Amino acid sequence: MSLVSLRLQKEIKMDTPAVDSQRVDRNRPLIRISDFDFSYGDKQALFDINMDIAEHKVTAFIGPSGCGKSTLLRCLNRMNDLIESARINRGKVEVNGVDIYDERVDATELRKRIGMVFQKSNPFPKSIYENVIYGLRIQGIKKKSQLDETVERCLKGAALWEEVKDRLDTSGLSLSGGQQQRLCIARAMAVGPEVLLMDEPCSALDPVATAKIEELIHELKNDYTIVIVTHNMQQAARVSDQTAFFYMGNLIEMNATDQIFMSPDKEQTEAYISGRFG
Amino acid sequence: MDKRSFKSRYQLACNRKSFLGLTRESALKGLFGGNAFVSIVVLGLITLFLFKEGAGFFGQYRDSLLLYRQSGLEYVELMRGQQNALSALTRYLNSIRSRQVEKLAEEGYDFQESRAITEESEDFFYDFEDLAVPLREHVIEANEILSAARDSYQEMQNLSEHRKSLLESGRQDEADALEIREIDFALFFDIVKSRESEYIEINENLIRGIEEILPSVPYFGDAELQAKTERFKELAEMFIEEVSKFEENVLAWERARSVPISEAFTSFIFGKKWVTNSSIQDWYGLIPLMSGSFLVALVAMFFAVPLGIGAAIYVNQVARSLERDLIKPYIEFISAIPSVVIGFFGIAVFGTLIREVSGWESLAWIDFFPISERLNAFTAGGLLALMAIPTIFTLAEDALNNVPLSYKEASMAMGSTRLQTILRIIVPTALSGIISAVLLGFGRVIGETMVVLLCAGNRIEIPRFAEGIGVVFEPVHTMTGIIAQELGEVVHGSMHYRALFMVGLVLFLISLLINYFAQKIVMKFQISRG
Ligand SMILES: Nc1ncnc2c1ncn2[C@@H]1O[C@H](COP(=O)(O)OP(=O)(O)OP(=O)(O)O)[C@@H](O)[C@H]1O
Ligand SMILES: [Mg+2]
Repeated sequence: MSLVSLRLQKEIKMDTPAVDSQRVDRNRPLIRISDFDFSYGDKQALFDINMDIAEHKVTAFIGPSGCGKSTLLRCLNRMNDLIESARINRGKVEVNGVDIYDERVDATELRKRIGMVFQKSNPFPKSIYENVIYGLRIQGIKKKSQLDETVERCLKGAALWEEVKDRLDTSGLSLSGGQQQRLCIARAMAVGPEVLLMDEPCSALDPVATAKIEELIHELKNDYTIVIVTHNMQQAARVSDQTAFFYMGNLIEMNATDQIFMSPDKEQTEAYISGRFG
Repeated sequence: MDKRSFKSRYQLACNRKSFLGLTRESALKGLFGGNAFVSIVVLGLITLFLFKEGAGFFGQYRDSLLLYRQSGLEYVELMRGQQNALSALTRYLNSIRSRQVEKLAEEGYDFQESRAITEESEDFFYDFEDLAVPLREHVIEANEILSAARDSYQEMQNLSEHRKSLLESGRQDEADALEIREIDFALFFDIVKSRESEYIEINENLIRGIEEILPSVPYFGDAELQAKTERFKELAEMFIEEVSKFEENVLAWERARSVPISEAFTSFIFGKKWVTNSSIQDWYGLIPLMSGSFLVALVAMFFAVPLGIGAAIYVNQVARSLERDLIKPYIEFISAIPSVVIGFFGIAVFGTLIREVSGWESLAWIDFFPISERLNAFTAGGLLALMAIPTIFTLAEDALNNVPLSYKEASMAMGSTRLQTILRIIVPTALSGIISAVLLGFGRVIGETMVVLLCAGNRIEIPRFAEGIGVVFEPVHTMTGIIAQELGEVVHGSMHYRALFMVGLVLFLISLLINYFAQKIVMKFQISRG
């Protein structure tokens, strides 16, 4: 999407002539990961990842525990910068053709464009209202009408508005687990990202709450590009357009979701999906 | 399961090693439970002991105050108050005079010449000093009469104690040989009281005398000295007005008024004087010590709070692990330095340094610089800050550590900077923990003894808070310091001894309160988080 490229380009003043011609191309990937090696200290966690993530699609990462799904996801908005031992050994991650690990890229600006929802819901110990507008507050926005509008829009977008509209002043921690997770989604939306990264957003939720979030993901697809990590095969099958299967730090196979679940190319993928290991 | 294996299992349970009928588990339980029990009992005993030793104080203090009143010494003290005010005036006059001599020396006059110049104004000085004589003599005489009465009363008191003990041990004849007189304070006091008309006359003469010579205040021609003499005139006029007030109080004083126990209590808690071993009357007022303690503690907190919390935030949120591994043990190491060493450093280095810095030319614009005392509240407070920092740092760092990492991640993931995350999420979430860290740091400072004893200057007076910030450079005495200093020298069971225990009790209550609030705050924090 243009905003990312514009913003990032403004940051790094890099002239990429390809952008204009690619903008016409609807199938151009929004995120391109190429030859990517990543390690925590001496321990390499990702090996030679090559992957394209398309715009306005839901991409699911699946794979056994410890295979590096979260690691790759966190590389997409540079959350791994917070980890001291994290190292990128090789390769790059491009968003709209801009290498996000270029030293001229402002990571906070990037994270405003690429939001994240975590496995364990983590609302701040503040009111529901304050939770949603936190992203605006840190940008110094004070206009009450704009804040109110954002709260309503985002809570509606996260399908939470009806449940909490009468108690916006109560603590975000007073909500149920499923509501808290939707509050976190609303909070991420308020910043106005184009991409939402979700790391097992439903793993702590009951089936009803899970269904609500999945439904929400379906709707969000129109406005956002979504990458979701999940251990739930059915969920991946239900919500995603493409699926990537990881094993021990390697990307084994990536394809359209139907293709992966109906007739995977690789033996390992087949084995994992059918539950024979993992 | 067959019978045999069941039996062997059963035996296994029975065969556990036992000692004095205790299995290992119950022995361990007993050991730890016993330790906890012992420490609770010891703490309880300490508290009880403090209360027991301190409690007798108020009765003794009341008796002492009563004696002070009945003997009429309180009456004399009222007149002495007036005399002191007059002496202050004389001292001010003398300071003008010595300033004059100083100035003349600066201007290059030699001794002979300056003598000639100062002689002109000398008469005035002597005249003024002479005015103070009658009042002084009157006070001295009254004091002599009444102190004599009080002393013989105390002597008789001791004798009758002695007699009692003789009687108890059955030495009847020795006891009978003791001659015990009744001392009637009224008789002595009537003598003093009968001279009241003299006192009134002295005052009249005093006022008239001052009014007469005031117009002849010497004229110096020098601006600084002139300003001082003007000020002197003002002060003298103020004194004249005060005389009638003093007189009123003296005349209205009644010997027969009793001293309720509450007065002993209030004159301890709100007393402005702490005077011991006085020939007239001992005073045990808490305020000078308490204000000293709090002043020192405030100075300490002024430095320790920002430094301790700042260091905690840095180490917890910003520092790389290498820095963290370096800074943390280092700060915590400070608390391992014996406080007497810190106090020693304060006397040898820090105090001198402060005084030297305060004498710098470039700092002369600060109106309370240069300071005169090397050891003062600031010196002690600065060093105590050093001791409070580890406490505040460690506890605040714990509090910050308790903030879930997920908060930080969520905040960062929305594009906030590290600083925004710290200020808007981390610190507010850990706030109650940080506040209780500060409170406990305060408790540590209030209770610290060695450093204040060595470095606070030990002047038992209420710091002059009205002077503004400069008050921190005054020498003070503290509650902890006074106990450490005086408890070794007092007679066991005496009023002074008990007074020190009361001070200890007050300290104990303050610490208790601080800890209580710190826990309250932490508890609230846990509930709101849980
Ligand atoms: N902060 C870290 N420091 C060091 N090693 C880490 C760190 N985080 C993850 N790892 C390691 O990197 C590897 C990949 O971890 P990652 O969290 O990406 O797995 P995952 O696929 O998300 O697993 P799960 O499904 O259990 O969440 C694991 O071997 C893990 O031990
Ligand atoms: Mg994970």
